[in-house]
Amino acid sequence: MTFGNPWMLLGALGAFIPLLVHLFDRRRPRPHPFGPMAFVLRSQKRTASRLKLKRLLLYVLRTLILLAIPFALAKPELGSEANAAQVVKGPAATAIILDASLSMRWSDGTALFERGRDEARDALKDLLPEEPATVLVCTASPAAPPPPGFDRARLRALVDEAKPTYGGADLSRCMDLAARALEENPMPGKRLVVVSDMAASAFRLEAPPPTVKGPTGAPVKPEVVLRDVASGRDALGNHAIVDLKVEPALQAGPRAFQFTFTVRNFGTEAAKDLEAAVRVGETTLAKGFVDVPAGGTTQKALTVRFPQGGTVVGQVTLAPDALAEDDRRAFVLPVPRALKALVVNGAPHATRYRDEAFFVDAALTAPGSPVEVAVRDAEVGLGEDFSGYDLVLLLNVTAPSAEEAARLATFVENGGGLFISMGDRVNTEDYNQRLGAVLPRPLRVVRTSAERETDPEAETKAARLAQVKSEHVLFSPFTGRAEEGLIGARFYRYMLLEADNPANPGASQVLATYEDGAPAVAVMRKGKGRVALFTSTVDRDWSDFAIRTSFLPLMQRFAAYLTGSLEEREEVRVRVGEQVTLRPEGSQKVTAVRTPDGGDLPVKEQSDGSVVAGPVMEPGAYSVLGADGKMQPALSFAATLDPAESDLTRVPQDTLTAYFGEETVKASTGDADKPTVPLWTWLILAACVAFFLEGTLLRK
Amino acid sequence: MLLDAQTLARLKGVKLRARAVMEGVLSGLHKSPHQGQSVEFAEHKEYAPGDELRHLDWKAYGKFDKYYVKRFEHETNLRSVMVVDASSSMGYTSGALTKLDVATTLAGALCYLLVRQQDAAGLALLTGGKWKDVPPRASAGHLNVLLDTLDATVPGGGTDLGSAADHLAEVLPRRSSVIVLSDLLDEKQDALKRVLALRQRKNDVSLFHVVDPAELTFPFDDPTLFLDMEGEGRIEVNPREIKESYLEEFHAFLAQVKAACAEADVDYELVRTDERLDDVLLRYLARRGRRG
Repeated sequence: MTFGNPWMLLGALGAFIPLLVHLFDRRRPRPHPFGPMAFVLRSQKRTASRLKLKRLLLYVLRTLILLAIPFALAKPELGSEANAAQVVKGPAATAIILDASLSMRWSDGTALFERGRDEARDALKDLLPEEPATVLVCTASPAAPPPPGFDRARLRALVDEAKPTYGGADLSRCMDLAARALEENPMPGKRLVVVSDMAASAFRLEAPPPTVKGPTGAPVKPEVVLRDVASGRDALGNHAIVDLKVEPALQAGPRAFQFTFTVRNFGTEAAKDLEAAVRVGETTLAKGFVDVPAGGTTQKALTVRFPQGGTVVGQVTLAPDALAEDDRRAFVLPVPRALKALVVNGAPHATRYRDEAFFVDAALTAPGSPVEVAVRDAEVGLGEDFSGYDLVLLLNVTAPSAEEAARLATFVENGGGLFISMGDRVNTEDYNQRLGAVLPRPLRVVRTSAERETDPEAETKAARLAQVKSEHVLFSPFTGRAEEGLIGARFYRYMLLEADNPANPGASQVLATYEDGAPAVAVMRKGKGRVALFTSTVDRDWSDFAIRTSFLPLMQRFAAYLTGSLEEREEVRVRVGEQVTLRPEGSQKVTAVRTPDGGDLPVKEQSDGSVVAGPVMEPGAYSVLGADGKMQPALSFAATLDPAESDLTRVPQDTLTAYFGEETVKASTGDADKPTVPLWTWLILAACVAFFLEGTLLRK
Repeated sequence: MLLDAQTLARLKGVKLRARAVMEGVLSGLHKSPHQGQSVEFAEHKEYAPGDELRHLDWKAYGKFDKYYVKRFEHETNLRSVMVVDASSSMGYTSGALTKLDVATTLAGALCYLLVRQQDAAGLALLTGGKWKDVPPRASAGHLNVLLDTLDATVPGGGTDLGSAADHLAEVLPRRSSVIVLSDLLDEKQDALKRVLALRQRKNDVSLFHVVDPAELTFPFDDPTLFLDMEGEGRIEVNPREIKESYLEEFHAFLAQVKAACAEADVDYELVRTDERLDDVLLRYLARRGRRG
């Protein structure tokens, strides 16, 4: 037991007053001759034993009253004997470190952070008047606290205004910062009060414990007071969504996606029938149940088919537990819209597989593809109104007429996509002359790497793709084993291109080259549209690429890329506490990044045109506003929590004591399971009851 | 006339007090309870030499041819004895009059009444542990003797009602009226029984139980050293602590006395020293009147 005002215990000497009164207060009774003495005697005998008991009770009650009052004023607190023996003595400059990590949001009705705030207030209250103090709200990137002072009101306000974050807290770093702040105070005693749930993720026990400069300048350990807001609990149960993958589910439709949750149970009890759902706004799009063993991980896949294209902002949710913040995860998903493609077939053939458009048609109309294809021969196709399409593919077309080329250029300028592939019928001069404005690079001549019909070693001599810019969104899926399907293709002939386009210098970009360095894929932005030039054929005439496994996905990505459906920022993943780099395309501008709760993130434009926003402070979907103040869905992103923060494993008290040093850990209070009512209120209550009983006895 | 205890207390001497009370009583009295001169036929007795010839029943001689003499219950006036307890405890008072003042005043008033009716009135005073008798007589001069005796009485000694009763049983003829005025605080268990036994000897017994209001209500608060008025006993108590028990005991005692009197056909009158004594006497006389 410890006492806040131990000198008040001197008042307990008052408990001897009833005894002294009993011993020394021999007031002379008034003599009174009386006739019916026999009745007085009999009454006295009858009541003697009861009176004796009554006097004893009165004595006990009065003693209790006189004991309870000074004990209550001494502000006693119950604690273990070990702790009682280690109560801090003597004044000390004190730094109170309040853990504001995500784990402090854990709640069993009362959030740990609220308890922590109460503990911090109590710690301030318990300070001696001569003890200076400072407060540090500990986050993942804490700032140095001010030197200890005596402005208690300011410190209390600091505690009152503190809020838990969505990130981690580096308590080790915070203790170091607090220790440095304490060094600025000349008082020899130094004390660190750590108010935390003692989650293991907050401590770096491999780092040395905090020290302060001693009177001689040598480092000494400060006293450490651990106020454990989750005291009495071995573990804080929690399950969380630790990962989310969203992939197209082509088998279910062109705009179907499979949401794969990874759910981890950090608790010691199995979680059964947890509801997992995909929601957009208030609408639940898919729902399922998942069982997660204690300490285990489970995946759950839910498929959602979106009715229309566009950017979808939603969240996946899990049945909420004591830490609800990690039971949901926002997503920003670009859902492809339906595309209309005009395939201009420059070399039709009666045999389907020999037809120039056969493989492209098959690739673009594969199950799950959002592309609706119209195949026309050159004469009809080039005569159509291109504005009715999102994408035009010129496959081995001799060359458009000047008028057709002009319409094509207008189509691209207005945001259309143009794909051009080569072949025997391509007239390079006409292309360069009529379509030069939209060609990424002018065509030169056809190069034959191997004669397939005559050379038996043609397959080994055939050119292959050598350098593929896998960082580009077009080729980003073709990494690892998927790349083999791309570089395994053999190219017997291909069109050589000029080094640059004089009409649009520097505008084109080569995304893939052959082994000899000749461009295989060149792209260029023109106006609002994009143009891709594939220097070989899309049938089997010049290469076997059309029958490679990579052909179908690449063609679909060409279609998506050229129509703007494939955004380069789709892989943006941001965790709370990090900054996000946004890369606006073309004339896009980023003027503001709106947080989930309606605030704005700090935005800083970089020299390369990108924009750095953040750090992101809360999970959820962030929307990006353009120069016109309108939302730019293509740049929107979702911020997620660090899964490590969902692990609420606690550091055992013994471990912390050993880490800080048994001689420095002076007290550990803040037992959340113990009654929060101070002991003195019970003593006052006992005194009141004793007072009432004493009065009742006296009246009897 | 004001006859409350305070007023009576201002009247010095039993004579004045008794007269004052008596006048109050007479003004409210309609019929005397004592007939006096009562001669009641009891039986016939065969004549024997020495019998009064005037009591010969000549009618009986005519019928039976034998001499019979009429016999009567009493041939004289009523004889009454006031037994006044003048023990030390009777000297207690919490107000204006001591219990002895009240007892002697009542006794004096009754003497007035009896002598006025030409009945014989006497006294038996128990004071200082000794008996002092004044034999009953009906003369007017005797009244002064009675009142002077009462006036000179001072409380002292212990209470011994039992021996008083035995003494009266010896000296009093049968069918006398015995009026006992006492606080009945006699330590001997059979004292009351022996007093009531007078009734069995055909005596008309009345008991005036004189109590002080303090004895009835025990109104003490501060720690008190109670001293026994008839002995050496003393006890220090907190009156508040034993009040409930005392009252229970004392009222049980009163109830017990009252019940014993009723059983023995003895008139019982509880007299508080703070009440009007003429009321007490009127109450007593009225009850006597109802009994005939």
